[in-house]
Amino acid sequence: MDAISKYIETIKAVEPRADIHVSDDTVYATVSSSKLRDLAKAIYWDMDCFFRTCAGSDERSINGFYALYHIFGDDHNGLNIVLKVYADPNNPTLPSIVDIVPAADWCEMEARDLLGIEFSGRKQYRLILPPYWPKDLYPLRKEVSYDVKPQVIISSEKVGFWDRTSAGVAIPIGPYHPALHEPEYFELYVEGERVVDVRYRGFHVHRGIEKLGESKLTYQQVNFVAERICGICGFEHSVCYAQAIEKAAGIEIPERAKFIRSIVLEVERIHSHLLWIGVAVHLLGYDTGFMHTWRIREHVMIIAEMLTGSRKTYGINLIGGVRKDINEEKKQRVLDVLKIVEKEFTELVKTMVDVPQIMKRLKGTGILPREDARKLSVVGPTARGSGLDRDVRRDLPYAAYSYVDFNVPVYDDGDNLSRFLVRVDEVYESISIIRQLLDQLPQGPIMIEEFDIPEGRMAVSVVEAPRGEDIHFVITGRGKPYRWKVRAPTYQNIPALRVMLRDQPLADAPLTIASIDPCFSCTDRVFIVDKNGYKKRLDPILYRWR
Amino acid sequence: MSLKDMRRSRLGFLRALVIAGRSGRVTRRYPYEEPLVTSDFRGKIDIDETKCIGCGACVNACPPNALELINTRDGYVSLRYFVGRCIFCWRCIDVCPTGAIKGTREFELATNDISDLYDIIVHEPNRCRECGKLFSTKRMGDYVVTKSPLVENYVDLDPDCRRNRFLKAIENRFGGRVG
Amino acid sequence: MGKPKFLGKSIWVFHLNTGSCNGCDIEVLDVLTPYHDAERFGVKLVVSPRHADAALLTGPITLESLPKVLRAIEAMPRPRIIIALGSCACGGNIWHSSYSVIGGVPELLKILKERGIEVDGVYYVPGCPVRPESIVYAVGLIKGLVPKKIKPKVKKVGR
Repeated sequence: MDAISKYIETIKAVEPRADIHVSDDTVYATVSSSKLRDLAKAIYWDMDCFFRTCAGSDERSINGFYALYHIFGDDHNGLNIVLKVYADPNNPTLPSIVDIVPAADWCEMEARDLLGIEFSGRKQYRLILPPYWPKDLYPLRKEVSYDVKPQVIISSEKVGFWDRTSAGVAIPIGPYHPALHEPEYFELYVEGERVVDVRYRGFHVHRGIEKLGESKLTYQQVNFVAERICGICGFEHSVCYAQAIEKAAGIEIPERAKFIRSIVLEVERIHSHLLWIGVAVHLLGYDTGFMHTWRIREHVMIIAEMLTGSRKTYGINLIGGVRKDINEEKKQRVLDVLKIVEKEFTELVKTMVDVPQIMKRLKGTGILPREDARKLSVVGPTARGSGLDRDVRRDLPYAAYSYVDFNVPVYDDGDNLSRFLVRVDEVYESISIIRQLLDQLPQGPIMIEEFDIPEGRMAVSVVEAPRGEDIHFVITGRGKPYRWKVRAPTYQNIPALRVMLRDQPLADAPLTIASIDPCFSCTDRVFIVDKNGYKKRLDPILYRWR
Repeated sequence: MSLKDMRRSRLGFLRALVIAGRSGRVTRRYPYEEPLVTSDFRGKIDIDETKCIGCGACVNACPPNALELINTRDGYVSLRYFVGRCIFCWRCIDVCPTGAIKGTREFELATNDISDLYDIIVHEPNRCRECGKLFSTKRMGDYVVTKSPLVENYVDLDPDCRRNRFLKAIENRFGGRVG
Repeated sequence: MGKPKFLGKSIWVFHLNTGSCNGCDIEVLDVLTPYHDAERFGVKLVVSPRHADAALLTGPITLESLPKVLRAIEAMPRPRIIIALGSCACGGNIWHSSYSVIGGVPELLKILKERGIEVDGVYYVPGCPVRPESIVYAVGLIKGLVPKKIKPKVKKVGR
């Protein structure tokens, strides 16, 4: 309780009239917008918290205002701090905190695109919606229906339009490129073989998930939508959403359900890391490694199908528990397969480490220094490869993670090799966690049938995905969520690419982009557009590129 | 398993030949051999027309609206299942009150004609005994009566006639007019 | 419509992700790995639409990616087919009516017809995500090695 009182004191010192209430592991504070910047500085730098996300919400039907929630996280004490500010409904304007908290750049622009909240004191640009989207149509406002489709005028895109004061030749990569599985557009500016700058135009995968979750679907149906935010890390999105609603409504699920969720989460982590290792060595040219890694991964997909019913997008999660049980025969089969996977994986990694081109190309490329990683609040193996010791499974334990022991691998170099080794180590840790969980599996029911979800409750839920921490923020409504915000891990990691790609040879660029394990469908679930039909400009405040 | 623990040698990458030799050929030659499908796999669903009552519980539970109640002609209601949009979550099987939907393990669903992907169950509608309008389905009426025999008097009336009857009963009891 | 003659030979495929969650895309990669080797049928992933016979489309087509999809399909030389892979491409999946999504290949065909871009065949493969064996079955169907198994059913309910 000491940490919570310290936060309450800090907030009251800056803004004595703040309205604070504490629920579980989250401190909610409603403050006035004039004190927002001082509070952000106090919490982010003085109390050494990390920035999680910010979510805008249209609450005009409840209290007549727009609201913006800034969510910070304190990993050492396992807390979340939510600052809420109100904006005037006729002319919503709020002060921006981007110069104090550089990590807040994208989510402020997202709130501007979808709700129309303007931010003063910063350069604004369109981020999510396509170029021809009308200027006054804000999809997330409550009066706009989820299926409004403006006139589709197909405009052609311009390449390399950026003003010629920037040096170098523009090389477009994407959106459809053989090295990429997802549509994303990178423009690399090169001088000779060296990359001097990069621009990113993404958000090709925006499908309007948050709006759908708030209008057309019911509570139990949103689980299935959440699972399809990403095909590789889908289950953890579904667990995160279910946990958020269960926290908000105060539902306590049976112990056996928590264990089953944790087991399937770790199975997903193993399959995702094996996938990444295969793709990374394929990008380096070592296809033998790619084929053998995916051969080993096939065993993991078969036990996932046996445990849940489908190779991917498992669909076993519901609010109140899970739908499918584990019996003794399945348990034995899982343990046998894990033994095979561990043995073959060790042998394969030993072989790959001896291949000269892999080590030479991984070591010393794509460096992300520790201070930049802290400023941008990166997450996951990207952070652990740069010396930041952050793991949500250990700091804010959820599901059954408080019952198991595991190590968190951290490497200090910050290059591609560190991120590779972090993931290799995590595969071994996951295998050990599954063995411990299967050993301690308690008896009992797997689902609660009767429960009630009251209106107007808020909750923040954080889960460690294979790529980093994933945050879902919900406000409950009647029969369906009132506001559902998803911040996927890659969203937080992409701005770090600018640092990593600077002054690198061009040939290392695909591997560096792949080393943060980008999952653009997680990132793009929101819409971002550039107002003039131009591509999104990356923020100049950090590095003075214009 | 840090880098220091792994012994590195110059020709260590040749171990890949040993790994390849030991695994051998793992390909399952699928159309000519059995595929690797476990018994838990969720495939296409099959709706049994002898048990379906046309209540629409599955329609409410289906996240992508693959199951829909459509009107085929005036008043006739059908349940249409579009395999192309199905996400194979089997929520419809969870919520069906009569157990009419069964899951199969079929996954060989490719086709070049999209009309192959529709399954339609055509229901007989109920006819109101007062105004003759068609509404709901006969099976639904029978099902409701078995669950609560008290409503046998009302099950043959469509919702408007039911409401008018109830209002008339209030008028008779308490006097006055209900507008 | 009868099967075009060129489909009996090996088919070169251009993978086009129009906004999918990547579930179907990693199963496409999985089909090329040792367990379900699709290259025994001659299927190859090519780097440019100009080399391709078939466009393997995944994802409900989002507004942002629509111009690029049209350009890619137009760049494929005739005769060309589209393979709609997965529940998103066949019917739009859960977001078939969302504001930022066109709705899958049936809607795309209408837009292609308006612009006069002709396509010589469309194949639909349902699944979420598509099993690698489903993809292999679809390739076998296109080449004429296996018969079509799915049939539309209309069942009348008696009293």
